[in-house]
Amino acid sequence: MQKKINILISSVGGQGGLSLSRMIAEASAIKGYRITTGEILGMAQRFGSVLSFVRIGINEEVYSPIFSKGEADYLLCLELFECVRSLSYLKFGGWVITSTEVKPPISASLEGKKQVEKVPSYLEAIRKHSEGNLISIEPKLVKEVVGTLRAINATVLGAFIMLSGVFDDDAALEGIRKVLKSERAIEISKKAYNLGKSIAEKAMPIHADNKS
Amino acid sequence: MKAKKGTKLVMMGNEAIARGALEAGVWVAVGYPGTPSSEVIMTLQEYKADMYAEWAINEKVALEIAFGASIGGARSLVTMKGPGLNIASDPLLSAAYSGVNGGMIILVADDPGPITTQTEQDSRWYGPLAKLPMISPSNPQEAKDFTIIGITMSEEFELPVILRTTTRVNHAVGDVIAGEIIEPKKFKSFSRDPERFVRAGMSWNLARHKWLNNRLRDLEKSTKYPLNSIEGEGKKCIVTEGVAYQYVKEALSSEKNAFKIIKLGLLYPFPIPFLSESLKGCEEIYVVEELDPFIETLLRANTDALNINAKIFGKLNGGLPLEGELSPEIIGSFLSIKRKDVVWRAEEIQVPQRPPPLCPGCPHRNSYLAILAGISKAGFNRKEVPIFGDIGCYALSVYPPLNAIWTEHSMGASISMAVGLKIAGFEKPVIATIGDSTFFHTGIPPLIEAVNKKVDMLIVILDNSVVAMTGHQATPAWIETETGRRTKEVKIEDVVRGIGADEVRIVDPYRIDEMTKTVAELLKKKGVNIIIARAPCAIYEMRKRGRPGYYIVLEDLCTGCLACIRATGCPALYTTEEGKVKIMEDDCYGCGLCAKYCPEEAIVSGEKVAKKD
Ligand code: SF4
Ligand code: SF4
Repeated sequence: MQKKINILISSVGGQGGLSLSRMIAEASAIKGYRITTGEILGMAQRFGSVLSFVRIGINEEVYSPIFSKGEADYLLCLELFECVRSLSYLKFGGWVITSTEVKPPISASLEGKKQVEKVPSYLEAIRKHSEGNLISIEPKLVKEVVGTLRAINATVLGAFIMLSGVFDDDAALEGIRKVLKSERAIEISKKAYNLGKSIAEKAMPIHADNKS
Repeated sequence: MKAKKGTKLVMMGNEAIARGALEAGVWVAVGYPGTPSSEVIMTLQEYKADMYAEWAINEKVALEIAFGASIGGARSLVTMKGPGLNIASDPLLSAAYSGVNGGMIILVADDPGPITTQTEQDSRWYGPLAKLPMISPSNPQEAKDFTIIGITMSEEFELPVILRTTTRVNHAVGDVIAGEIIEPKKFKSFSRDPERFVRAGMSWNLARHKWLNNRLRDLEKSTKYPLNSIEGEGKKCIVTEGVAYQYVKEALSSEKNAFKIIKLGLLYPFPIPFLSESLKGCEEIYVVEELDPFIETLLRANTDALNINAKIFGKLNGGLPLEGELSPEIIGSFLSIKRKDVVWRAEEIQVPQRPPPLCPGCPHRNSYLAILAGISKAGFNRKEVPIFGDIGCYALSVYPPLNAIWTEHSMGASISMAVGLKIAGFEKPVIATIGDSTFFHTGIPPLIEAVNKKVDMLIVILDNSVVAMTGHQATPAWIETETGRRTKEVKIEDVVRGIGADEVRIVDPYRIDEMTKTVAELLKKKGVNIIIARAPCAIYEMRKRGRPGYYIVLEDLCTGCLACIRATGCPALYTTEEGKVKIMEDDCYGCGLCAKYCPEEAIVSGEKVAKKD
């Protein structure tokens, strides 16, 4: 097999989007894939929009650390607004995995815009844009099962692996281990990862039904 | 970082530079934090290598420390972002005349975009300006390799070598093959040699200039270092460098390429012999580079020496933009390459923008609210008392709802610009706000200026005890650095009192009413008066010790007046569909500021409520 895979990770600063891109990079390297990421990081403050570009080359070189609109095979989102904002990067036929968590920007609240809890309509817009290629992750469920939202990036990773099969669980878990420092965080992320896999597993056949 | 030779690692460009420093035997690594360069020193600190890896007070001092180490034979590395090199440019130019003994690398990281920098400065011009060798890697692997080559080259030619990068190299992650980590090269010897090391207006400076030019000429001809390369052949040629090379490769990967790619790793001295050889037979030359037409200008200026009469395309004749980042897409159309049609659809619904706000619980929010309230309390209109800002997270106070700072210019400029405005004849009070690390960096000389010239002003030093914006680095007020080195703490209050500030008050910005009073009082006083608003960075504190608590909104009591949001703009607050306010519990720091502004007392401590239940 010879191919390039473009992944865009869209998140809000402080959510773990950069760790997710690093996990995918580490796991890809374990599989011997070529890997390059382009990220915007460095501002310690949080709550800004963060985009990370991940490019994997399977038996192929990847050069540019970034890509353009319409070129993402996968759009992985940790926040719903950011997901909508990044939709133009999605390729025709590409997939979206998104957490439905909303972090309303304070600037909008300041203008008196009541823009929260529009989750269903935003989700609908994403579904339409991706022509149904959508796996959504309920933060409530993650909190219930994992106990925290801090590892939601691992849930998205689990769903991504289940969906794409780009690499196996062993590589993914090794990727998580390389990025996280404490054993406790790794344990939590494993749980979150498995949850992501089962969410994707359930979502995929439903998607097939929708299409038919 | 500990990986053995031959291991394939996944590294960020900056981590790769750090690894390169270890493989090159660097003994002294020093810098001032600045995005996108900070992770080099941070990585070395984390690795706890047997070396000196510490932050310095500013870039000029850092460069001089590295230079001082190198004239003693030690190998050194100094890191900074583009504007940092402006501050360090004085020692930079002199260092070229003096030369080094131990290899010395000066990392300067530019930021096309600009993503996190005040300007799109192109630091490549420092090559010809300082007359120093400049090399430019295009990905993490090269970032490591060039660091090692740079050290060797620096030692051979006895000149500091500038390693010039851009964000897309510093922050790109890619695979890197590890090499051998060697013993660091420490101090060897240092003996008196005035003609080399005494610069100021000496007669021998002319001779040193000649020496420097000869060194550059030798280096220009050297073929020893694998920095430049050629791929493919043809009459259409591309000259490129840095991440632009990766974009070129990407743009060309979709078709059989009919281009010859000439990649420069050595930007200065401009490698004339290499170029004249590789440009032979080229009929069209496309120069692909980010920011200024640097290579293009040198190319056009040297057509005689290069013996070329090909048509040159680049920025000077409008082929590529002069501003912003390049991309494979832009380069593709510049080279008229038919790419696979990429169709994309704009998202159909618009979501609100997300400009970065001050973090929940950030003490700067309290400080600016106190400053603004203090201005009113002192009987002034907010529109008549300018608040000068400086570089740091607190520049975000420019956005609503605070709308606080009037200026933000260059490191330390808040105080000096306030001095200037007063001298110009501005009669109302002025306020300068400056962070603790920025004050240490370049705020001290302006303060001396203000005190000495008796310029009335209120200076608020926002002291969160850390270099926050760049990822929480040490300041001179720490008693121990990141590497565990014990240090002697330098107290801001001692510094400002020593300089002779008239009034010095230390306040806790979380006690906002007290701080407001202090601001109002000092604003009306003559002299240079200083408030040190001291409270730790909320994010840093949360990581170290956890948050002090969290607040919740009692839905029944909230009337949706939005007073809390309008006053604080804390990003943990939001409006619901019903027009009421809620707090994102996980993001709340628990500072209680919003509760102060709620007329309904609807915002209460979450823990207290939980206890009652
Ligand atoms: S208490 Fe209020 S102002 Fe403070 S962090 Fe929480 S929500 Fe923000
Ligand atoms: S100030 Fe109080 S009543 Fe007004 S919106 Fe905020 S929480 Fe609700």
